[in-house]
Amino acid sequence: MNDGWNIVVCVKQVPDADDVTIDPDTGTLNRSDAPAVLNRPDQNAVESALALREEVGGTVTAITMGPPPAKAVLQTAVGAGADGGVLLTDRAFGGSDTWPTSLALARAAEELDADVVICGEESTDSSTGQVPPGIAAHNGWSQLTYVESLEPRPDEGVLVGKRDVEGGYERVAAKLPVVVAMEFGANRPRPAGLHRKIFAETEFEPVEWTAADLGIVDRVGLANSPTKVGGMDTATPVERERVRVDDVDELYDHIMEVL
Amino acid sequence: MTVDISEYRGVWVFVEQHEGEAVPVSWELLSKGRELADETDEPLVALVMGDGVSHLAEEAVARGADHALLADDPVFEPYRADPYGEQFRALVEERKPSIVLIGGTHTGRDFAGRVAVPAHAGLTADCTELAVDDEGLLLASRPTFGGDAMATIKCPSHRPQMATVRAGVFDASEPLDEDVDTTTAVEEVDVVVTEADTLSTVIERVVSDVVDITDADVVVAGGAGCEGNFQPIVDLADALGGEVAASRAAVDEGWVEPARQVGQTGKTVRPHLYIAAGISGAVQHLEGMNDSEYVVAVNSDPNAAIFEHADYGIVGDLHEVLPKLTAMIREKQEVVA
Repeated sequence: MNDGWNIVVCVKQVPDADDVTIDPDTGTLNRSDAPAVLNRPDQNAVESALALREEVGGTVTAITMGPPPAKAVLQTAVGAGADGGVLLTDRAFGGSDTWPTSLALARAAEELDADVVICGEESTDSSTGQVPPGIAAHNGWSQLTYVESLEPRPDEGVLVGKRDVEGGYERVAAKLPVVVAMEFGANRPRPAGLHRKIFAETEFEPVEWTAADLGIVDRVGLANSPTKVGGMDTATPVERERVRVDDVDELYDHIMEVL
Repeated sequence: MTVDISEYRGVWVFVEQHEGEAVPVSWELLSKGRELADETDEPLVALVMGDGVSHLAEEAVARGADHALLADDPVFEPYRADPYGEQFRALVEERKPSIVLIGGTHTGRDFAGRVAVPAHAGLTADCTELAVDDEGLLLASRPTFGGDAMATIKCPSHRPQMATVRAGVFDASEPLDEDVDTTTAVEEVDVVVTEADTLSTVIERVVSDVVDITDADVVVAGGAGCEGNFQPIVDLADALGGEVAASRAAVDEGWVEPARQVGQTGKTVRPHLYIAAGISGAVQHLEGMNDSEYVVAVNSDPNAAIFEHADYGIVGDLHEVLPKLTAMIREKQEVVA
């Protein structure tokens, strides 16, 4: 593989978690004003994709699934250095849970002849973490999740990932094509270059694919999502005393009381 | 693509193990699985995969499983997503369980998706509550964005109904007292994967004993306010006989190991007393400690959100407050001794 790897990076547009707060009295979520941003763990995915391209050569293509405004996260990725972007956009995708979402991304990765698909660990809005293994399962590809760092071995056709596991780490060599989920905070995303950023915002236009383009019209959307939201409950706010104490003696007394 | 859901029966619990040692959440799920199986009047099945792990299959039966399926082969040690996923999928297709519970560990979340996709099963990730409704449908509840709301997820027309479940939210089952013959309830299954078919190789695995903060009665947690010095947290935890924990900020900085992280991406703790020092109280953190009986907050920022979620709070620098508190506790211990 002298011409490098086809690297695909999956990105998602989410409400900005920093602008979401809880009202302590009602226990409700204030997120109406939260702007849409690139899912933060995906910044680590983009950085990994760019770093991998530097090591092995090839191209980085960002893909996202969402309504037309989701193009903004592709611009962010292209601004950071991705070579191109694909927007999977179609009303048919509406209401998709992780099963059809990972199918659409898997089909797109196949179309792009991906060697490596890199995702963030999970999205900050739904936080299932199930899309990366889902993509790998749909295509029968290998997978590396909770990855701290990558070590490409192009001569062997494998990608080695150092994975975070409970109590330590492991290094796993996975055959290409492989789907990678980078651990949140695994690297420091580079800032976007000015010229690249201007290009992304003024000239770049993503390729757009529909469900029909991917041949999956009858397999996506709400109807093909195994899980249904059966109800939403506001978690009962835990009643706390909220007593402020003035000095450590008083705090000590309270602690001794409850122990 | 829908399935005849009436063909699917039984509650399965995946017993996650590494090097022959079960992960605690496996036994927590087994006790919850017992309740669900009793309610639906279906069998509780433990699924054990590994190399030389028949003792865990027997232990699962001793802890309440009606039946244990054992896939015992060197290909299953150490864990890899693809052979585990293939074997699990084959078993699901052959035996059609209605409910499958998997620990919400890195391992569990790694391979749950590997099973749910080919089975076209519904998978609810990172649940904190499980129940069944009148029709025996699994109600899997999980905190949504930020965690102040709970979404209940159902899977009306697909099977199995799969859920990964966070560690520490259910009590572990204990082995039964009486002398049951656990061996007869263990069934060794055909292994459908071979090493030649695998897509990945574990080159190196380095793990040490993992602390379990989910069982502690007293937890002292530190956050960004520790500014790299966790000693006051360690000393106070030591004086109170509790465990040290941390917010994500402190773990990301590398001050504390990830196994001690409390919150949405860490563990859920339910201690009698939770002391949060230098922790601002982000919703993701609150989610992991809101079941604590008493919460004490120490923070230099009087407007920190943590004070709204604490029983007792003191505005002050933890580097001053905690050592004083620790000294007072130690002094009292000396007097008592």
